[in-house]
Amino acid sequence: MTTARRGPLLFGLALLLLITVTLAVTIGPSDVGARAAYDVVAGHLGIGSGSSPTTDAIVWEIRLPRVLLAGAVGAGLALVGTVLQATMRNPLADPYLLGISAGASFGAVIVFVGIGGAALGLTTGAFGGAMVAFAGVVALAAGRGARLDPARIVLAGVAVASLFDAATSLLIIAAADPDATRGILYWLLGSLAGATWSDLAIAVPLLAVGLGVMLAQARALNAMAIGDDAAAAVGVDVARTRWLLLVTSALLTGALVAVSGAIGFVGLLLPHATRLLVGRDHRLLLPATALAGATFLIWVDTFARTAFDPQEIPVGVATALIGAPAFAYVLVRRMEPR
Amino acid sequence: MQNESLARTPAPRRLVVMALTAALVVGACGGSAGTTTTADRAATAAAPAAVTATAAPIDDCGTRVPPSPPPARAVTLNQGATEVMLALGLQDRMIGTAYLDDRVAPAYAAAYAALPVLAKEYPSREVLLAHRPDFVYASYASAFEADAAGPRGALASLGIRSYVSPFGCAASARPPRVTLAGVFGEITDIGRVFGVPGRAQTLIDGQRAELARSLAPPLPGSGLHVLWWDSETKAPFVGTCCGAPAMMLAAVGARNVFADVAGSWANVSWERAVAADPDVIVLVDATWDTAASKLRYAQASAALRGLRAFREHRVIELPFSDTTPGVRVVTGIGLLADGLRKLAAPAP
Repeated sequence: MTTARRGPLLFGLALLLLITVTLAVTIGPSDVGARAAYDVVAGHLGIGSGSSPTTDAIVWEIRLPRVLLAGAVGAGLALVGTVLQATMRNPLADPYLLGISAGASFGAVIVFVGIGGAALGLTTGAFGGAMVAFAGVVALAAGRGARLDPARIVLAGVAVASLFDAATSLLIIAAADPDATRGILYWLLGSLAGATWSDLAIAVPLLAVGLGVMLAQARALNAMAIGDDAAAAVGVDVARTRWLLLVTSALLTGALVAVSGAIGFVGLLLPHATRLLVGRDHRLLLPATALAGATFLIWVDTFARTAFDPQEIPVGVATALIGAPAFAYVLVRRMEPR
Repeated sequence: MQNESLARTPAPRRLVVMALTAALVVGACGGSAGTTTTADRAATAAAPAAVTATAAPIDDCGTRVPPSPPPARAVTLNQGATEVMLALGLQDRMIGTAYLDDRVAPAYAAAYAALPVLAKEYPSREVLLAHRPDFVYASYASAFEADAAGPRGALASLGIRSYVSPFGCAASARPPRVTLAGVFGEITDIGRVFGVPGRAQTLIDGQRAELARSLAPPLPGSGLHVLWWDSETKAPFVGTCCGAPAMMLAAVGARNVFADVAGSWANVSWERAVAADPDVIVLVDATWDTAASKLRYAQASAALRGLRAFREHRVIELPFSDTTPGVRVVTGIGLLADGLRKLAAPAP
């Protein structure tokens, strides 16, 4: 894709995201419609009159933070997936490759079954677990040297994830508390239900920093996607860059998982779908995947919270349900000319 | 179909169990309310409610619930909560219910049918708020998770009070053992909140009288070793030390084979059940795991059909909803006592 087309394409995706947010906030299982929703938002922005407390709570405390969090999580997961696929040169790399979802699940389950007590919040527990697991993966993969070999990282990730998954299952069985287990399942599948403004305060700054770091390494990613030697030949400090990107990915994923559980599919296939559509130049690919990931997850979550009205389904279930056919379509369409 | 996946606890919990651990617990959460506050309340409720007693907040799972003003737009989540409300004749204060395990007791069926059902299982937060409730009453803490009604604190900030059955509190706030005092304490609490302490006392007095009739000495379970088979077959899910099954068995004077296993229910190995060769086996009859299916499994199993209780058909079937802590557990104790008396009676 030429530089000349970059601007319009990103502008188009950003516009699509804006329209998505604007529409999604008007959709919900209650009969609070578009007009009432905009009244609430306008009221909070100081350009309109207020609404009834119930309507206000529905739009301002439930729908809007949830829509925005879906966007932040979708963007973040898609970004991390894109970066990891390039640095690992592995098309199956996704944000959970680094043991993060397994570690976060373990941390969350500890909180759920009450071992951590009320002092340790769910978000803290999940983030802590994610970081412990990531540290384990890095320790295993790096061994005594500072060099990180992609194949070793993948294997270390599998080993650490298995260990944490087993520990999670053991805790659930030992606790033998179906009522707590119900919440754990919801969390393990990934859910944006109950999104709050404070979740956004965690996710958005980390997303901004992560995006900044990743964009600054876009050229290095282009080179690393070809090979470590090729990257070194054009002056990329491969070891340092890989460390930087891995740590950034881990922190961002840890924060996202901590506020939303382990939502699958977005981080694995959204990068591929976007790559098929916009090409392999990370200077374009990174912002494009972020925008596409945000738009995708907002719509999927809108489906998850309304399709089975009056109940909810975990968004992690819906991502693949909707995403797999969509991806198949992109895949087939792009394959045909060859 | 959905109902078949339901267990002692609502379906998603059941799903979790199957999805995650294949052979896990299906029980409602154990423990019961023997807390001082509950006992005090039970004791004071008999006397005409003093003004000070009425105003004191109710300690519910560590959350303080102001007992007044009486709610006018209550929503019940879970069958147990719904049945307590209907047993107190409070349907005119309810605007909706959700989440049955099976069917409400026949005595409350008509009142129940007249109430809107907000969702088959838990309604989402937005749906709940859109109905503008002023009180949310649930049997399990899971009702207040993010995908359901949302945290109690968030409801409170909208002026919506909430109450969770003491047996359904999160593990950290749950009484260690199910007791009848706890069952009655919940009824007393709800009576206070809705300003009908007299009705609550009448209901409790009636239940005590019913108990006295079914448990007239000699206790029908005296000297008997009983296995409480709730559900599942490979690693049976049985009543253990501290849940409603344990409380019911203790009430009739029987000894529970698995009294030494912690918690309310647990998946155990058949080996110990066979070694114990129980005098009587209780088969819980639930729509998703019937007594008949358990009996068929036992008759087909070489290890089980030799047990005395199966050989001599010393089994008692109890409907599932009469074996959960709530307004129906007294009926369950009565059925258990009757069953034991029938087994003791000489064959005609």
